[in-house]
Amino acid sequence: MIENNEVNSENKSYLQEDGGRKGIFRWILSTDHKRIALLYMYAMMCWFIVGVTLGLLMKLELIAPGKTLIGAQAYNATFTVHGVIMIFLIVIPGLPAVFGNFLLPLMIGAKDVAFPRLNLFSWYIYVLGSILVISSLFGNGPPDTGWTFYAPYSFRTSTNMLPAALGAFVLGFASILTGLNFIVTIHRMRAPGMTWFKMPLFPWTLYGTAWIQLLATPIVGITLLMVAGERLLGIGFFDPAKGGDPLLYQHLFWIYSHPAVYIMILPAMGAISEIIPTFTRKTIYGYKAIVLSTLAIAFVGYFVWGHHMFTSGMSGTALFAFSFLTFLVAIPSAIKVFNWIATMHQGSITTEIPFLWAASFIFVFMIGGLTGLVLGSLATNVHVHNTAFVVAHFHFIVFGGTGFAFFGAMHYWFPKIYGRMYDKSWARTGWIIFFIGFVTLYGPMFYLGIKGMPRRYFDYLEEFHGPNIISSLGALVLVTGFLIILINLVKSARHGEKAPANPWDGTGLEWRVPSPPPLENFEEIPVVDKATYKFD
Amino acid sequence: MKRIVFASLVMMIVTTVGAQSDDDVEVGMVEKLDQYIPMDARLINENGDTVVIGDLIDKPTILNFVYFRCPGICSPLMEGLANAMDGNDLVLGEDYQAFTISFDPREGTELGVNKKRNYLNLMKKSEQAQKGWLFFTGDSANIAELTDATGFRYKPAGNDFIHAAALIIVDPKGKITRYMNGIYFLPFELKMTMLEAAESKSGPTINRVLQFCYSYDPEGQKYVMNITKVAGTLIIFMGLMLFLVLVLVRKRKTSNV
Repeated sequence: MIENNEVNSENKSYLQEDGGRKGIFRWILSTDHKRIALLYMYAMMCWFIVGVTLGLLMKLELIAPGKTLIGAQAYNATFTVHGVIMIFLIVIPGLPAVFGNFLLPLMIGAKDVAFPRLNLFSWYIYVLGSILVISSLFGNGPPDTGWTFYAPYSFRTSTNMLPAALGAFVLGFASILTGLNFIVTIHRMRAPGMTWFKMPLFPWTLYGTAWIQLLATPIVGITLLMVAGERLLGIGFFDPAKGGDPLLYQHLFWIYSHPAVYIMILPAMGAISEIIPTFTRKTIYGYKAIVLSTLAIAFVGYFVWGHHMFTSGMSGTALFAFSFLTFLVAIPSAIKVFNWIATMHQGSITTEIPFLWAASFIFVFMIGGLTGLVLGSLATNVHVHNTAFVVAHFHFIVFGGTGFAFFGAMHYWFPKIYGRMYDKSWARTGWIIFFIGFVTLYGPMFYLGIKGMPRRYFDYLEEFHGPNIISSLGALVLVTGFLIILINLVKSARHGEKAPANPWDGTGLEWRVPSPPPLENFEEIPVVDKATYKFD
Repeated sequence: MKRIVFASLVMMIVTTVGAQSDDDVEVGMVEKLDQYIPMDARLINENGDTVVIGDLIDKPTILNFVYFRCPGICSPLMEGLANAMDGNDLVLGEDYQAFTISFDPREGTELGVNKKRNYLNLMKKSEQAQKGWLFFTGDSANIAELTDATGFRYKPAGNDFIHAAALIIVDPKGKITRYMNGIYFLPFELKMTMLEAAESKSGPTINRVLQFCYSYDPEGQKYVMNITKVAGTLIIFMGLMLFLVLVLVRKRKTSNV
């Protein structure tokens, strides 16, 4: 199918097409979905480096008990800003804004998203929101509430809480508009012949994600406005002294922030579902089951927020209901894992870099998922609540899940994005160091949590020292791996050898266009006549 | 004007006293929410007949205790009640009813009937009020039973009484569902209270929407818009609309397909 779409050398790629603009304006005024995707990626990479630095700072502080590098207040600020940056600036927009933007039109055979200008506008909102968040670092000192901004402390603290919360509020709009854009694009702009059940799985997960973005994000927006009202005007929404309810804050916050976990993980699962068939040369096992489980996760994910609040004082009925629903939402995730493994079964696997990332994704996702059940059970939750166990769990899911999928996707679609190939041996070295560092960093924290080490303290008892040293060394290894990966990709984007249109023999529509794709993607809108993931 | 000053004076006493624990309250309202009024209490109606109160309560009912010779807050209270009943769109006597009961056993039927005539003249809905707003008197034993059960505490002062101004709302089974304190009542709040007391009784759909959007704030003792519920519903509604439009409205043919 590739032959009849030979690369036409007369066509300029989107990277060469400048729209008559010069310098940086070629980027910041472009409504091309591919350029916007890269704008998002570059912005995110900057913030990610900041976030990683803060994370490393915390791990170095924890290398020994007592004050090693930073004191209590600085540590509180560090974990807050680390969380806010990582969650609101990177993992929530991460895959949808970067790979969703770049690939959605390519994968469904469209020339762009439905509303290209709105798309660029979303990016500006994103940048504005990130600047607000970063501005909280200056002035009265960075916020120290934790990224959850829990009331009543969030409206009592004298630190710069408002810019961070308002930044998160503004970022929400970027998320909502991107979601809206994707929903309309998927409904309206699929190529002829691409019925719902012929659509590749990555767009499917973007679709589920987009609905969550659209419906859940307004809630956190309202909540953060309420916190602002509380701080600035003294309205007692959450202040018990004024008849408010701090528990209400937790409910409102998690009604958004739990589905937000699925905003992070669903597109990650979608990317993995693209990578695995390509490198096993097999049709994905149980396509419809994966689609339905995507929708099931998006739907049930709305009703599990209470499991963040098991020790906050809800009624017994609420506890049982939320615990039960949490176990329920594990089922569709397990179905996906089962399907990925079944796809590999008897496939002809080539251990290319994207496949290594996908396989390690499944490994860390399984650990993250199963420890999630420990937290979802009422009794064990009480034991490990607010310990390092929780931190280990969600880093396995959020960083291990989304992060590994992001790097997997990056190495999978890199040749398409830049038209160049990266250095595979450095990529492999980077991956293995990153993977070892990751497990060494977060693995010991499960043990520490079960032993009772609380999270969010700059200090700990002597008995926790050993595992903390291992964990901190793991952080250094992880950062080394990350730097290798980053440098390799940055160098290869400029100087790598030229990549063909379809380096991995993929079946999706995105591999039918030249690498990098021309401005309008398809010279002629393709007609889809067979299901995706059919290998010869 | 004098009456109003006196009323505020009494209100002040009531609020000061209200700060003490329930048992110490001499004058005021001790809320007995969710308790039942004695449905077998006997009262004397406008015709001078003795009736059992339980036989009359078959819909949400407003009870208010006054004495007809009252020089103080009883009149503003009843005016307030009349205005609130006039101002809402429920049908008095059909959707709900009001009982004004004299807690002074020395007072006779005729006084009550005269009072009723006075207030009906003020009202636009006087026809509805004729059968929906009933005036009662009673003997001391029955009055004591009723005022006790509803937490209405009063004290004789010479020939008069010191007492609080409040409406007590009971549901069709005689359970106390709400107290509305003061002498001014918003017609909307009265309506919400009645709808709530109507329990499972069906009403126009719009009333259900109102009940969904507003909830009772016990602190401020009024109905407030439930912002989280309303916002949540709006978000889901708009999401649903978007989905339906995308699914049901056909795709426009584009030139390049």
